[in-house]
Amino acid sequence: MLLPATVRAARNDPSLPSWNEEERKQLEESGWVPGALLLADDPPPEEQAKPEANPLDAEKPTPEEIAEAAAEPTTEIPEKFLTAYFDQRPENFLIDPQNLLDFQDSRDRAAFLTSHAGDSAIDLFVYVFGKDQEIPGEVREEELIERFFATGRPAMIVYYYIGQPQRSMVYLSPSLTDTVSAAEQRRALTSSVMQALEKTDPAGQLEAFVVQLGIRIYWMERMIHGEPSPEESTVRRATAHAAKKLKQGPSLGERMAGVMPLVRPYLLPAGGLLAALGIAIAALWWWKRRATFRLPELEVEPRLGGDHAAGVGAVISFASPTLPPASQRLQVPDYLRPS
Amino acid sequence: MKCPRCVQRIHRAAACCPHCGFALAEADMRFGGDDVRLSSLADTAGLLPRRDRQRVERAMERFNRKFPQLFIAVYTGALGEVGQLRQFGFWLLNRAAFDDVPVEKPNAAGILLVIDAESKAAGFTFGYLLDPFLEEGDTFDCLTRAHPHWLEGNHADGIVKAISQLAHVLRKRCRQAKRDRERFERKVLPPTKLGDMVHRIRSGHRPPGETEPSRSNEEVPP
Repeated sequence: MLLPATVRAARNDPSLPSWNEEERKQLEESGWVPGALLLADDPPPEEQAKPEANPLDAEKPTPEEIAEAAAEPTTEIPEKFLTAYFDQRPENFLIDPQNLLDFQDSRDRAAFLTSHAGDSAIDLFVYVFGKDQEIPGEVREEELIERFFATGRPAMIVYYYIGQPQRSMVYLSPSLTDTVSAAEQRRALTSSVMQALEKTDPAGQLEAFVVQLGIRIYWMERMIHGEPSPEESTVRRATAHAAKKLKQGPSLGERMAGVMPLVRPYLLPAGGLLAALGIAIAALWWWKRRATFRLPELEVEPRLGGDHAAGVGAVISFASPTLPPASQRLQVPDYLRPS
Repeated sequence: MKCPRCVQRIHRAAACCPHCGFALAEADMRFGGDDVRLSSLADTAGLLPRRDRQRVERAMERFNRKFPQLFIAVYTGALGEVGQLRQFGFWLLNRAAFDDVPVEKPNAAGILLVIDAESKAAGFTFGYLLDPFLEEGDTFDCLTRAHPHWLEGNHADGIVKAISQLAHVLRKRCRQAKRDRERFERKVLPPTKLGDMVHRIRSGHRPPGETEPSRSNEEVPP
């Protein structure tokens, strides 16, 4: 309530006073104009407009300089972790000696990679580095891969940079390099990076990256066993579908369109015949449903003292499934029935 | 025709079983001599829940519509011994007055299905009208249809199946009787007396209605 009232009052306030020219002249002559600093529109004498400064006569930066300025500074991996990273074949599938992933994420990714190794013939090793970290120049990745992964199960090795999946690099163990083409490796890496970039948080990115890479490894396995990659299989399916369609010849509708002129004159009588047949069947069903049956009433002499009935039919026991009806067909007294 | 107690064959019009001496009087002594009023579906053993009961009633109505001169009744109870089931069925069909059965339908036109919940047995009893047309094997087939359902405790399903099979058998018998009535008449002919037998032997085993051939055309040996 207070705020609108204040605004309204401000709107209704009278305009600020201003000097008329004569009074102002008199005051200026006296040497002091009251409130001149606050109310006057003129700038204070010492703040009068200064002449514009001339632009500096310096060279514009080159594109290389701009690129260097834009690039974030990179740091090398601390030397104390190099041994853990590059000294031996890793014992775990997730290599993160710097503990860049928090405990839960690290455990989840390691569990996934272990589970993948159980399902797949190709192991997946993920080296985790910091966002801006650089692998020292003296570390030669290809040589390390050759040395550590020449023996043992086939493996895919990934250098993954937390928060920057696009910097990731993929290597294959020597046993796979001949069978999986560079193009396929590139496709695997690209699709994994794309999946990772759909996430915003670094942990989610790594998860998406690793999952997609696991899928691509599955396709690599199939390709190794002579089956097409997903892209190829899509193309093959489309081709096969087209060939099948071609082989099938004209569709049913097309064939019917060809036959219709011949059939049309007989459609009406055939329809009528079918309808009549249907009606006849329905009438027969209705008649049979309503039909009643009568037995001839024959004279029967009463027996055993019964005025109405003495017809003893069969008796069956359903006390046990081990006593089937077939074994009860012979209707004998209980004392004659085999127990 | 069998005795409800000893299940031995008995002859037509036997006043009592020649093997064990059973007669309705004995059953009266066991189950009571007065008439019993009950409905045609008497579930005294409580085997049929309400919905199942309605299904059974519908099946019974269908049967009664199909065979206007007949009616079917179902009784469930706890009788104890399998042997008693036949005697009870025989007694009940002779002593029962079914409330929901029209008076023009005597019990002689009735078929009674008795289910003993205690001994887990079931049996058919039928009136004199059905005597020439139903055989033990027919009723056994009906019970066989119901047997798997009763084994699983689906009493209503079993009853409906048994009634359905019974209707099937009776439809067949109606057609057969229409074509060959004598076949069924022969089943209920009164027992042959000694004199009749001699007469038939002399007349060359011809049926009683047939006239003797005239001897006038026969050649007389010299």
